[in-house]
Amino acid sequence: MRLGLKLAIPAALLGLSLAGQALADPVCGMNNGQAATGEPIIVGGIYGDAAPGDWSSSTDSAAAYFDCVNANGGINGRPIDYRVENDQWNPEAAAQAAALLVNDTPTVAMVGNGSFIEMAVNANTYEEAGIMVMASACAISECFETPNIVSTNQGPLPSNLGAAQYAVEELGAQHIACIGLNIPNNGIWSCGAVNDFMASRGLQGTTVLLNPGAPDVNSALLEAMATGADTILINQPAGLALAILSAAQEQDVRDLYNWIAPTPLYDLSVPAAVGEYWWGHIYVNAELAPLSVNGPDAQNWIAVLDAYGSPDDPRDTFGQGGYLSARFFVDAMLAMDPAQVGDRAAVADAIRGISGYTSDLMCGPFYVGDADFHMPNHAGYMVKIVEGGFEIVRDCYEYDSPYFEPHRALEAAMGL
Amino acid sequence: MKRLLHVTPSGWTGFAFAAFCILILPEISGRYWLSVFTSAGCFALAIAGVAFMYARLGMVSLTQVGLMGVGGWVALRLNYAFGWPFEVNMVLAALATMVCGWVLALPALRMRGLYLALVTLMAAGGLEIIFATFQFPNGGTGFWGVKTGSADPFLRPWIATSPEAYLRYVIICAVLGFVFIELHRRLQPGRAWALIRRSEAAAMAAGVNVTLYKTWAFGIAGLLGGAAGALLAGSLGLLDDGTFRASESVMIFALAVVGGARYWQGAVVAAVLYKVLPALLNIWGVDADLAFVIFGVGLLHAVITAPDGIAGQLIDAVRGLTAKRRKEASDA
Repeated sequence: MRLGLKLAIPAALLGLSLAGQALADPVCGMNNGQAATGEPIIVGGIYGDAAPGDWSSSTDSAAAYFDCVNANGGINGRPIDYRVENDQWNPEAAAQAAALLVNDTPTVAMVGNGSFIEMAVNANTYEEAGIMVMASACAISECFETPNIVSTNQGPLPSNLGAAQYAVEELGAQHIACIGLNIPNNGIWSCGAVNDFMASRGLQGTTVLLNPGAPDVNSALLEAMATGADTILINQPAGLALAILSAAQEQDVRDLYNWIAPTPLYDLSVPAAVGEYWWGHIYVNAELAPLSVNGPDAQNWIAVLDAYGSPDDPRDTFGQGGYLSARFFVDAMLAMDPAQVGDRAAVADAIRGISGYTSDLMCGPFYVGDADFHMPNHAGYMVKIVEGGFEIVRDCYEYDSPYFEPHRALEAAMGL
Repeated sequence: MKRLLHVTPSGWTGFAFAAFCILILPEISGRYWLSVFTSAGCFALAIAGVAFMYARLGMVSLTQVGLMGVGGWVALRLNYAFGWPFEVNMVLAALATMVCGWVLALPALRMRGLYLALVTLMAAGGLEIIFATFQFPNGGTGFWGVKTGSADPFLRPWIATSPEAYLRYVIICAVLGFVFIELHRRLQPGRAWALIRRSEAAAMAAGVNVTLYKTWAFGIAGLLGGAAGALLAGSLGLLDDGTFRASESVMIFALAVVGGARYWQGAVVAAVLYKVLPALLNIWGVDADLAFVIFGVGLLHAVITAPDGIAGQLIDAVRGLTAKRRKEASDA
């Protein structure tokens, strides 16, 4: 009874605290409580929602934040008209979405983009149109290696490197087999960086590729095991990662390897989905702050979704990314000359001028700068899947890889 | 020669429609619709190939989108390997795909109907796996030409670098494809195909080389599919294996039947249904997947009441109207 009381009191306090946070009013933009009624400022966003995955949580969170901004003074009285298109994981549809939003519509910027496809198809379109894209759920190299796209999320390359670095330093990994998607600008690109990282430490990395069109997870797992690796990095979207883990459970090989993954496995539904067999055995890199960190910005994101989003909108990493992109965009717009907020070129300059923006959702400062590459987010957390959720096993840490040398040089030049 | 180059009323209609698409359509379309119409133009060319095989020989090919992928792959590979002009890459891609069509035809020559369809579907499945496994060239080295990271730029035709000009370019290529098919229909191959369609035994008895002309037809379908794939690569600058799934080959064959395989208008209707209708639904805020329901209804309609497809019905309606007016004029 006394033990029960001891547990009940902190639980009640925690519950009251969370309830209080949930009821807290969101803080957005000018935050004056007055609806914006001026001439709308058009902002676009492209997400991918079709088999094999729904990546709309980033635009969902961005839309909720913009609604909140519009209800709180907008951009100096002008509301944001946020228009989103689905690329359907199809290059033609992606090109058409960009043509509609960028070429046929006077959008000032693209915000919250989340896709596997559209950045590869549209990177040139964005450059030619002189529009900046503040993406949130990027997974391919074009997101990070082109001049007009910057993302608040890390993508698979840094997240893989973060997971690999943790495995080497904390789990004693000597040989990592990275199971990636057979897509040149995704799985091959991001697993290749892990191999380079392992080589830089005098260790071994091997890439195993999975065909996303007809994924044979058993074969991929067996191939990874056959490499002689001691650590398996599951560089996959959550659905395929769960299938690989299920195959590994059937063969009962959990204790033969270290199991690590990038951020797609940081999803609140995953601990229950993987089941008790895996609790305490899978280490996941989180690109943005885990929900348990619960800083002011994290609380505001939840409050915005509760007040202006849908109950179905995912509370996941890409949702955090969408919120952050929208918030940083609004902050940059509010810092502009109000006469220029409808001008695409001026807005692009303002976005490039972003430097040193901070949030408790990110480990480091967010910046853009005038460069041919952008990867401001290259530090994260490491969590372990446990019963009912995730346990932080390493707080914010910088990823150590030669890949980030040009980024750190840019940061030094910007005084960050 | 005069008969060969004679332009029928349907042909004049086609040229007028092409003139509209070349002169007017790019001027009144925004970038979204330019992209949609360009894509529709590429697929109209590919559909013309599969419809021609079905209409002239009764052969069902379910590989056409896979052959488009072959053409696109070759065009991309040549572009990155040699930097040749787009036209050279497109012609070589079309010829390479034609050879693929021949190779595909060889085991299929002894098969008809359902069995031929199954063989071609399996070939499409094989191509899908090859594309998914080896990916499309993006500027890398080696035979497959795939490199890690972002794709290198793809050279469009120097006379068609803008989206408007590229739409015109695609339409001109599609018109050339339609004319190519029509010329074949009027020459010896057309007569041979007509005989083969009626009876292979009779054709053989009449001295027609059935093997040659069936292979020829597969080659033409491959040629058109390959050119369409190269044009699609030029439109997007890159290709993705998701575009060339075997299911898409089945879809465009079904739409060729819905549109009307015997007529050039049928290929246009099929391409419009395949690419323009989903784009229209998207603009209206309706889920583009509704198009699949409409395709199904259209296929049922074609199978039950319109063996010549929507184009056949439209042409019959126009003919009926014209005949009625003539009769009224003569009565008056």
